[in-house]
Amino acid sequence: MANLVESYACTPSTERGRGILISGDPKTNAFLYCNGRSVIIRYLDRPLEVQVYAEHAYQTTVARFSPNGEWIASADVSGMMRIWGTHNGFVLKNEFRVLSGRIDDLQWSADGMRIVASGDGKGKSFVRAFMWDSGSNVGEFDGHSRRVLSCAFKPTRPFRIVSCGEDFLVNFYEGPPFKFKQSHRDHTNFVNCVRFSPDGNKFITVSSDKQGLLYDGKTAEKKGELSSEDGHKGSIYAVSWSPDSKQVLTVSADKTAKIWNISEDYNGTIAKTLTCPGSGGVEDMLVGCLWQNEYIVTVSLGGTIYLYSANDLDKEPLILCGHMKNITSLVVLKTSPETILSSSYDGLIFKWLRGVGYSGKLERKDKNQIKCLVAVDQEIISSGFDNKIWRIPLTGDECGEANIIDIGSQPKDLSVAIRKHELALISIETGVVLLNGTQVLSTVDLGFTVSACSLAPDGSEAIVGGQDGKLHIYSVNSESLTLKEEAVLEKHRGAITVIHYSPDVSMFASADANREAVVWDRVTREIKLKNMLYHTARINSLAWSPDNTMVATGSLDTCVIIYEISKPAASRITIKGANLGGVYAVSFVDNNTVVSSGEDACIRLWHVAPQ
Amino acid sequence: MANAASGMAVHDECKLKFLELKAKRTFRFIVFKIEEKQKEVIVEKVGEPTQSHEDLVASLPTAECRYAVFDYDFVTEENCQKSRIFFIAWSPDTAKVRNKMIYASSKDRFKRELDGIQVELQATDPTEMDLDVFKSRAN
Repeated sequence: MANLVESYACTPSTERGRGILISGDPKTNAFLYCNGRSVIIRYLDRPLEVQVYAEHAYQTTVARFSPNGEWIASADVSGMMRIWGTHNGFVLKNEFRVLSGRIDDLQWSADGMRIVASGDGKGKSFVRAFMWDSGSNVGEFDGHSRRVLSCAFKPTRPFRIVSCGEDFLVNFYEGPPFKFKQSHRDHTNFVNCVRFSPDGNKFITVSSDKQGLLYDGKTAEKKGELSSEDGHKGSIYAVSWSPDSKQVLTVSADKTAKIWNISEDYNGTIAKTLTCPGSGGVEDMLVGCLWQNEYIVTVSLGGTIYLYSANDLDKEPLILCGHMKNITSLVVLKTSPETILSSSYDGLIFKWLRGVGYSGKLERKDKNQIKCLVAVDQEIISSGFDNKIWRIPLTGDECGEANIIDIGSQPKDLSVAIRKHELALISIETGVVLLNGTQVLSTVDLGFTVSACSLAPDGSEAIVGGQDGKLHIYSVNSESLTLKEEAVLEKHRGAITVIHYSPDVSMFASADANREAVVWDRVTREIKLKNMLYHTARINSLAWSPDNTMVATGSLDTCVIIYEISKPAASRITIKGANLGGVYAVSFVDNNTVVSSGEDACIRLWHVAPQ
Repeated sequence: MANAASGMAVHDECKLKFLELKAKRTFRFIVFKIEEKQKEVIVEKVGEPTQSHEDLVASLPTAECRYAVFDYDFVTEENCQKSRIFFIAWSPDTAKVRNKMIYASSKDRFKRELDGIQVELQATDPTEMDLDVFKSRAN
């Protein structure tokens, strides 16, 4: 049986030019954000604990806890809202189609009975408020002509709703049943966020015109503004009140977060500026914020979450980082404790330490996309979508100067001789390229379409898998640099996707796009274990356990299956739903732990107990 | 007794062996083969009651179709010993198309000869003949 040991979560999905809305539950210190089709629940005091809700069929946009902490309402780009329980396995309470387009913001009323949601209604209603359990409307919301980016519910009686959007308007509704009361057009650009103070007396709107305006909570009269002296120099994307209603936190595209003191005359003066401690690129623009109890959370465009302590603002923030996109490869380095390197589709390579979590980002000078990644002791070899292979020396946490080798065609698969790691084999469209260090030794045209390749640890043998499912074994002659074909093995009925030698080189395993994996004996080239056909979609990745007894396969069908070589394939351990969207990389950390990663940008460690 | 669709006759031994399995439980499984030259379905192999599901899987060829009948014993949630008679149409992906066509067209007629089949199963590779599959279909 397999159980989840550790989970390295993904970061919120962000979009350039727009803010994101994160929310939390003050009672349990949890905070919520969305990535892909999932809602991620994390805890401010326990960053390694992660829960994922993955029931939406479309990309999720915003999620909020109900005031009593029992329910979470989450919304997606198709206009659906799901209300589900926080405990008890996320049981679904209700599902409503709220708007006909994407939902950008939603908020519960303070008594937890009503929900207001706003977004893009495609010409029809942009804002809707309804009872949480029956879905019946509690008001008419007209007055907007374009996408409504944010809405807020006044937390104290008399209830009011404010909405603001891309038409530069801030609309005020009285009720229930809610009716349009007033509209303000004081901003000169998109109004990104509106929030009521926790005591209900004031509300603040922030906009891409770098201003923040304060209004009276009951009458909606504009009363004051955030002072422009020392103000933001870029669009303000989000705002959050402190629990005592005396301060607000704003984050902006100028890469700073500012804390303002709000005085009784509705004017804000700056109390503190927090600059994003990143390397200063576009990905340090801050797009989301939350002030909960004594934690201040800011989220950058690159997806990094910074946790500050409200009592001690000068302290270095805790940085929570992760992948935002599909993780395409995983490598386990043999250090102790085990270090896992993960690389994602957008070219980011992160280091993770088992038991600790995020431990650093490998700074690379060029951020091109990565398709394949292999790491040996002090070096990383990667390939992307252009014709180049990158050999990057690794010293501790730093990447040295990359050696870029142009091999003339797009690399499809990459393999390194583990014991002689200057030798690398790269498969291209109709052949393979042999690399020694940074020199292309030879390019061999094999005459068939190659889909996967593997080089033996001592570099003397290579196995190349073709599109037709045949495995060609070649002996590599390092003097004359030729490949001599030794055998052709036919068993697979689909294009070969991955081939790996076992750590003791006595066996090798291959997997194909037709869901089948086979283990062969290296010397006799006979099949050792067959019928490994339990996946229901193409196999993306394969790994051997360090003691040569188990093989793990990860597939597009989101499962990871672990087979024991000594037992028939039927007695297998299946991890269902290891990574929503498909498992793209799988590896063994030690003899009993498997790590898997995939489309959902999360990395999970599983403990496997042999039966 | 010719089959209207494919012209296959069913050998009497098939029906007799099946009745023995059903009534007296003398066999664990029976494997049937279509003999094209004689144009009939004959009994290829029988399994002793001591043999198991693995022996059945082992006696099925990997690139040819067969019919099989398996007597599956299991214990229900209320701790009752029960058994179900499974009819398995073994039609592996690696078999030739002509082979699969003949077995597919004769299957219905053949099944009607075997009165008392409780569950039918079609398996196209060994994973579909797994014990888990039997367990889930037996309920």
